[in-house]
Amino acid sequence: MSDIQLYLFEFDRNKKEATQIAEQSAKRLESKELKLIDLIESLGEYLNSEDGSIRAKTISYLSEVLTAVPNKVLSGQQRNLLLEFTLSRIADDGAGIASCARSLIALEGKGQWDQERAKSIMTTLMAHTHPLRQYKLQAERYAVLTLIDLLMSKYRTAIENVHSSSPDFMSQFISYFDGEKDPRNLMVVFSILRVPMSEWDIRSHANDLFESVFNYFPITFRPPPDDPYGITAQDLKDRLRSCIASTGDFAPYSFPALLDKLDSTALNTKRDVLQALKSCVMEYGARTVSLYSVTLWDALKFEILNVQDEDLAEEALQSLAEIARQLSLNSTGALNAYLRPVIKECNEHLEDAPTKQSQAAGRMLQAICSVSEMASSMIIQAVVPNIFTLYQTAHSVAKRRGLIEVLVQLIKSNIEVYGDWRKLGISGRDSIELSSSNIMAKYKDQSLECMLSAISTSPIKEVSFRRVNLDGLLNITKVRNLLSDDDISKVISVLHDIIIHEESYGQDELKASAIQALVDIAHQKPQLIIDKAFPAFMARLPDTDSDGTLYVPILEAFAKLSGEEKVFKTVVLRLWNKLHSCIQQGASVSYVTALLSAILYTFTHGSPNVKAIEAGSYYDDLVLPLSKLVSSSLESGLFEDEQILDLVGRICNYIVRPQTSEFQSRISSHIYNHLDGTPQEMLPPFNTNATIQKRRRMIVSTHLLAALRRDVSLQYSSLPLLQALIQFSTVEDLSPKVRAATLRQISIITNKYIVTADLKSTISSILFEPEGLISRFGLSSISIRITFAFAKPILYRNGAIINSIFQYLLEMLDSKESGATVARGFSTLLAPDDILTKENHCIISSLHKQKAFSLLIPHLASSFRSADITTKKNYLIAASGILQWLSYTIIEPELQSLLPLLLQSLDLQGEEEVKEASLSTLLSILAQNPKVVEEHASSVITRLLSITATKTNPSKLRRESLKCLGIIPNQLKTETILPYRREVLKRLTAALDDGKRSVRKEAVSCRSKWSELDEVGEDDD
Amino acid sequence: MPSHLTLLSPLRPPCSTRTWLSAPHPTLPLLATASSDRTVRVYSLTSFTLLSTISGGHKRSIRTCAWKPGTKGESVLATGSFDASAGIWRKWERGSSGLVRDPDDIDGGGDYDGGEDEEDEYNFSVLLDGHDSEIKSVAWSSGGQYLATCSRDKTVWIWEELEDDNFETIAVLNEHEGDVKFVCWHPSEDLLASSSYDDTVRLYKEDLDDWTAVACLSGHEGTVWCVDFEGDKPRVGLKDGKELSEEQKKFIEERERSGPRLASSSDDMTIRIWRRRTREGQNGTSSHDRIPSILKSNSIEEDWYEEAQLPKTHDRAIYAVSWSKKSGLIVSTGSDGKILVYQERWKSPKETTESHSPGAESMDVDKLSISTATEWVIIAEVEGAHDVFEVNHVNWARRYDRGRRNDEEEVIITTGDDGEVKVWTLDHD
Amino acid sequence: MDPDKDNANPTIINPSDLPSRRGISEVKKRDDGGTGLFDHLVPAYSYLNDPFDQPLSSSDSEDETVEAIDEQEIYDLIATISDPEHPLSLGSLAVVNLPDIHIQPPTSSRSNISTVLVEITPTITHCSLATVIGLGVRVRLEQALPPRFRVDVRIKKGTHSTDEAVNKQLGDKERVAAALENGTLMGVLRRMLATCK
Repeated sequence: MSDIQLYLFEFDRNKKEATQIAEQSAKRLESKELKLIDLIESLGEYLNSEDGSIRAKTISYLSEVLTAVPNKVLSGQQRNLLLEFTLSRIADDGAGIASCARSLIALEGKGQWDQERAKSIMTTLMAHTHPLRQYKLQAERYAVLTLIDLLMSKYRTAIENVHSSSPDFMSQFISYFDGEKDPRNLMVVFSILRVPMSEWDIRSHANDLFESVFNYFPITFRPPPDDPYGITAQDLKDRLRSCIASTGDFAPYSFPALLDKLDSTALNTKRDVLQALKSCVMEYGARTVSLYSVTLWDALKFEILNVQDEDLAEEALQSLAEIARQLSLNSTGALNAYLRPVIKECNEHLEDAPTKQSQAAGRMLQAICSVSEMASSMIIQAVVPNIFTLYQTAHSVAKRRGLIEVLVQLIKSNIEVYGDWRKLGISGRDSIELSSSNIMAKYKDQSLECMLSAISTSPIKEVSFRRVNLDGLLNITKVRNLLSDDDISKVISVLHDIIIHEESYGQDELKASAIQALVDIAHQKPQLIIDKAFPAFMARLPDTDSDGTLYVPILEAFAKLSGEEKVFKTVVLRLWNKLHSCIQQGASVSYVTALLSAILYTFTHGSPNVKAIEAGSYYDDLVLPLSKLVSSSLESGLFEDEQILDLVGRICNYIVRPQTSEFQSRISSHIYNHLDGTPQEMLPPFNTNATIQKRRRMIVSTHLLAALRRDVSLQYSSLPLLQALIQFSTVEDLSPKVRAATLRQISIITNKYIVTADLKSTISSILFEPEGLISRFGLSSISIRITFAFAKPILYRNGAIINSIFQYLLEMLDSKESGATVARGFSTLLAPDDILTKENHCIISSLHKQKAFSLLIPHLASSFRSADITTKKNYLIAASGILQWLSYTIIEPELQSLLPLLLQSLDLQGEEEVKEASLSTLLSILAQNPKVVEEHASSVITRLLSITATKTNPSKLRRESLKCLGIIPNQLKTETILPYRREVLKRLTAALDDGKRSVRKEAVSCRSKWSELDEVGEDDD
Repeated sequence: MPSHLTLLSPLRPPCSTRTWLSAPHPTLPLLATASSDRTVRVYSLTSFTLLSTISGGHKRSIRTCAWKPGTKGESVLATGSFDASAGIWRKWERGSSGLVRDPDDIDGGGDYDGGEDEEDEYNFSVLLDGHDSEIKSVAWSSGGQYLATCSRDKTVWIWEELEDDNFETIAVLNEHEGDVKFVCWHPSEDLLASSSYDDTVRLYKEDLDDWTAVACLSGHEGTVWCVDFEGDKPRVGLKDGKELSEEQKKFIEERERSGPRLASSSDDMTIRIWRRRTREGQNGTSSHDRIPSILKSNSIEEDWYEEAQLPKTHDRAIYAVSWSKKSGLIVSTGSDGKILVYQERWKSPKETTESHSPGAESMDVDKLSISTATEWVIIAEVEGAHDVFEVNHVNWARRYDRGRRNDEEEVIITTGDDGEVKVWTLDHD
Repeated sequence: MDPDKDNANPTIINPSDLPSRRGISEVKKRDDGGTGLFDHLVPAYSYLNDPFDQPLSSSDSEDETVEAIDEQEIYDLIATISDPEHPLSLGSLAVVNLPDIHIQPPTSSRSNISTVLVEITPTITHCSLATVIGLGVRVRLEQALPPRFRVDVRIKKGTHSTDEAVNKQLGDKERVAAALENGTLMGVLRRMLATCK
């Protein structure tokens, strides 16, 4: 049997098989076993078959062979022969058109065609396959389209010649694609049509061409679930849009058509239209756009004046701006013509400010004003004077506010165009000559004067009005080379007057924004702030607070200035100097606390120059002097205050921890003596009967110790140090904070300074062995706390010994005497920690929460059930102590066993914190996985109700339970909870009358959630 | 105060949502309560417990209900709902003659309870629709022949039951210019009163088998929520006690001739007493002969005037007023949650001179003396009768429970927004 | 202008000028005059205060002090209702205003029924939606206030062509009750109240 016979035989049975046969033939052609001419002849009889499908398959065979045949196998002459052959097929037989197309594509791949060839192919196609829709299979049409696309991209000029030489070609070409519906094909059609649209002279056909694509507008298409071609609606939209925007010749048709569709009520259509308009404006070119600019304005403004949908308004706004941008490239005349009506209308809207539409006017002006110097100048000089006239005659503050709002918008746009002090604007101009070219210069004094007086003269209850003006002042100072330093200084002084002298009002929004404004100006003009604002602040900070001045607001404001890197260092130093002199002047504890807080704030919230810190420059400026202060016992006793010591510690910690190990080793051996030279053995923790003052310094030591890197050597090996700390922590008359500090040091060392190898041995020797902690102190409160002090860091570093510690603690829960204390301890295990942190170089396993959960919770759940009534409570407390810190994902696996535990814990008497914790867990369960709650619905709801109803519960608790109750309607199945609706609504009326406002607020939203329940579904009209 | 109200018992279990109105059964110790949960609850007035819950007939709140009087062996209840339709429900009363039972055999024969067996269910037998919007009130005429319904659509409809379950609309009266809030029949005549959102009360009669408006009572300055007629005979109240003076005898006789008066309660926080002005040449007995006389046909217009206003004590809208057919006492309640009981009494002569009742100006001299011969006084008051909730309805009912002191004794029944229905006794001290 | 709206271009109040509770009290509470900027520098969970030393009860002393329901609270309940025809709140449209909210205490010592009177100001005198707005306010308050409050919603005198008629409707308990059973109307109300937090 000949290949073609086999091929035909296999074609319907097994297409792959068939293809292989074709590939065989291709190989044989290559190896010359088979002559092309014979192959063609072998096709003869089938090509004449009555059965179209046979003919089609035959052609398909040929095309597959040609596709498979490597280049160079076929001579140019052979290719021509094949081409002629294929074209003749196309000419006199519709069958197998797709294969013909493929053959041609294959042939083209084996050798460029000349212009003539390309033309003839195109003309043949037009002559014999027009219109394309006669082929019902999208795959067939696709093959042809691909061929045409190929011609368009590679043989552009040739095809263009066809167009220019034969006048009727184009109309035929256009109608050729009529009625194509398949998205994949459309993609090709659009890209084919885009060529003549954008490159050829098609003026005489513009309308038809436009119509041919606009018919599809607005295009919508939902790809089938498993779309093989992965074409999205967006792809289609984009291609279609690029066609519509392809040539200015479309303008006469596209703009009217689009604007017409803009009236549609369908938001999606509007969206497509607006996007199309924008790209048209971008592509059509200034001259064309200028013809339609006013028409477009008239249509687009409505989208902004009566906003329906914010993003539509945004699109429209961009188009308006784009028009201006285009026209700016062209003559002033065109832009002028466009802006005249814009300015007129906007000015009119400004007259009845503040309204929805006056706000819209502001938006439009700002958008347009930002596109070019020319637009900016035209608008500003037409609008700003109007604003001022209206302002003078305005009677209501509200109106004045509305006007200034617009002024501010114009100033902002001015920054767009001319840039600020740190970066150039789109005008790209710099240098002083700018101030002359920026039209704003003409109005700067008036604006400045107007806004300055608005702020200083209007009553402080006019918050929004003054804020707008403040915003304006801030922005006008930013405009590049607009204001002189003196002008800016004026603004600065107004700002710090507000901060410093003005009495507090309402939420002090104005003070807040004044401070922010100073920070922003500092970003632009750091030196001005340092010279003008800083002295003002410093002047207001007393050296001693005996005179009762309110220094806190000043400190807060000043500290915030550290937000700007360029002034950070100065802020710190000024604060430090102030602190220093205050200490000299014997300022009070609270004042010094505030100053230290301010310093700490600059480091934690400001933007310190990290390099400077790492270089340790603050070490000498702050750490050393602070340590000196700590060790030098002033008679003022300032540095014996525990809170002050804590702050000092935190500041030092922040500065020390980024230092290199070498650097850190400078202090690693002075942790306890704070560089006062005393041998550390004489100090706590080693000396248990040191003075109170000396004991207190442990608080600072803790922070220093925390700051050290793990490879810094401590001068003491960990075991004795731990022993000392344990010993010290058990001292009777230790102040709570000092004891806490000591325990934390245990945690730090356990986490950072015991090598994993020794961990087990060290810890068990300390805790469990005959001479260990437990045996020495028994199950006393202190020993329990020490045990937890070890447990946490070990859990963090995921040490194996944690299992035995937990086991021990869990057993202790059963103790009648101390079980409760142990139970409380569990909440410390996962509680957020400000000492054991990555920044403090601690080892923190990402799995520690997971671990705690899996080690503890199942055990707690089970032993809770078995526990006797007196100790049951302990398990609940312990459990909720753990759970409250866990994310939902961790607890998920145990939900079933957890829920009963949680619910029971809600009944605990007097354990508010426990209940609170349980509620927050319950809340997350309800939010994440309501299903598990379904079965408990009734007991959950009744418990929550009773918690809210119990006035003895703290308000927070009542509030939280209402929160839980409130999300139930959305989370649980309606049929499950509908039965409770009336009951809940009735009982919640009590909560509506709760003594606490916050609770009532929660009750209200909770109740409305429930009352909406049944209305769902049942409606009769 | 001469008397005081005591809470005898709430009806259990209460409804969990607003209840609108409660109607006592004409002959049996039953009370039907219309509720916004689309049900009517039937309670026992002997045990004060729920006997059955009628549901399923209406798509919206049931605003009102009324028992058909004079039925034998069965109970018939009419319901009116916000779904614009009225419903007729029937239930066979096992072993009940339909006559009032002797309280003793209540003790003997055990509490009357509607029983819960199947055949004891109330069956929905007819749906009366026609109104365009919410039905606000329904009422059976004293003979049970007519049913009146009224609605927000400003109309009053009168239905006649031709034979069982076949109701025919015999009149659609659209005199009012606003919602018609309440309808109430004269105790003996086929005279219908309706009160409305348009601040008026209107009266209707049949004039040669065609129902027409015969009077419009205006004076209220707010929606008139409720109206109730005085008992027909004997109109006690003033007769008890000591010997009457001649003038007083004349006064009573005069009043007998004008027939039962009407009390109306309103959003304007007043309760007004209206009285029919008797015609010259027409003897007051007109109210009793059933055959319309030729005389009357020339004009059946009636002339009613405001005889008195009850003491102003409510400080919010007065939703309900009820006139005891037995004692002649009036009870009222409303948005302020108060229950007030009023009694009419003779004025001492000196008072007669100085005091003048509201609206007196509008009356001619001879009426003046009469109208001011008596005065209304509050004899009992309760605040917060339903805790902080509004009370939507109050009325008198015969007392059936064990504590009952005599055949004539009545209780007061209040129905509130809290879904509670409460039974009160009035004790004179 | 948009024809199918009664007032397509209403005046809008800036949020920071709306009366607010915090505006009245909280900030003032700090006697150091500050805003508490430094309060959280030392985290609440600072190691220095651990659960062993602290008494468990987190109940703060303020818990005893009772905060009565006042005009501002009523205002906060209704100011967030959104206008049926603008995506704006009744507060920002000045339809509800703090000075137009009045709470009357119980009339007698024996009663504990208080009355809330809210006078609303339609954006324009012929606003056909006045009734719906009023209904929204009334419904909101009936849902959110304890039952001891009687709610009276009225159109502020002279701000509406048919204010008397509207007032009578809003005052009619029976009509309001029926309205709440009307699905379509409830739909509108639910949309208005959706923005209440």
